[in-house]
Amino acid sequence: MMSILQAMWQADGSFPNGSFAFSYGLEGFVVLRGKLDATDLSELMSTIIRQRWATFDRVALLRAFRAKGDPALIGAVDREVEAATFGEALRSGSRRNGASFLNAHARLGSPIAAALRSDIRTGTCLGHMAVMQGAVWQETGLDERLAQLASGYAVASGLVTTAVRLGVVGALQGQGLLRACLPEIARLAAIDSPENEELSSFLPVLEIASARHAKADLRLFAN
Amino acid sequence: MLDAKPLEGGKPAGAAPVAARVGIGGPVGSGKTALIEALIPVLQRRGINFAIVTNDLVTREDAERIRRSGLIDPERVSAVEAGACPHTVIREDPTLNIAAGDDLEAKFVGLELVLFESGGDNLASTFSLELVDWWMFVIDVAGGDDIPRKKGPGLLRCDLLVVNKVDLAPHVGVVLEPMLKDALRVRDGRPVIATNARSGEGVEAVADAIVAAVLFRA
Repeated sequence: MMSILQAMWQADGSFPNGSFAFSYGLEGFVVLRGKLDATDLSELMSTIIRQRWATFDRVALLRAFRAKGDPALIGAVDREVEAATFGEALRSGSRRNGASFLNAHARLGSPIAAALRSDIRTGTCLGHMAVMQGAVWQETGLDERLAQLASGYAVASGLVTTAVRLGVVGALQGQGLLRACLPEIARLAAIDSPENEELSSFLPVLEIASARHAKADLRLFAN
Repeated sequence: MLDAKPLEGGKPAGAAPVAARVGIGGPVGSGKTALIEALIPVLQRRGINFAIVTNDLVTREDAERIRRSGLIDPERVSAVEAGACPHTVIREDPTLNIAAGDDLEAKFVGLELVLFESGGDNLASTFSLELVDWWMFVIDVAGGDDIPRKKGPGLLRCDLLVVNKVDLAPHVGVVLEPMLKDALRVRDGRPVIATNARSGEGVEAVADAIVAAVLFRA
């Protein structure tokens, strides 16, 4: 029961990890596409969950989780995430988000978060969010299934929060979209991820939008 | 009984000594950036080793303005995006700002002071004491002489209230003395300083307050 509560704690949007400042590319997409409605957003969220979260973030999370605190293995996954993430805005956003996540856990007394934060200072670790989540949540006491669910839920709910702030959907409409994502997250989290599975993602429009967004004069989010 | 682990001291592991952290909040347009620009040479003259973190709401305007001012090494100015939430980034979730402060401390050995400029919002914004050790709130006379009587949490809870743009008082129908008296009254006598960041009036007094409060110098 305790691990379920821990997962809820970590998926909660009020946990201070800096995620509110990152739009996962959504702000750039809204600017690129112009008007976006709830149907468009629903399709986009589904695509992000299937073609980025499930095959990239989730895989990185699980590999870091299975590293069981081994800094060399965690560092290797971290470098793979860096190499496989398109565009500086998405890379630096993921690193900054991860650093804030570690800061919060280090201050709450997590030894591995404090160690990884020191590794970032020395350059032996980059601190990508999904990797840091995997490493810290393994120590926190989540199991693989709960870690995946917390990660998937945090991504989906972060997208909805961003969309509401951008005025794409209303708060209640957003919750409807979030609810609609839950079965997909549960289905994807149940798919076995073999040891050392390679990271893959395919979201070219979002990546292009994010690259354009990095140069925008007016923006609310860091990426 | 709850198993509450003690919170870490809030600074990077192994990093010592650590810089004091001061917040500068207040409504958009009250003159926070101008006050920082006026404070920079004053703090430099006093030999204080400091850096600045800005929280721009939708652009990097404030950070770029300070970087391009020629007053300070641009490397000592860091920008943190507020994600459309100027309150959140200094209160509910200050972790991005904490990380920015930690990065500056790691980069500049012997750093004594980090100033955090809020992106600006309204009278309700307050700083988390997990982010800063002491904070000031900047309002301006052009906002109206009734601002102190509106008693926003920012205005009431800050360690120092700065009333800026005092030179504009006669042009906007404000009589300064009653406004300052109202400010002192609603704050139960806690410090209020009147400034004109453009001319430098009152800026030394603000620097004195910072130095006395967090650097413990006379």
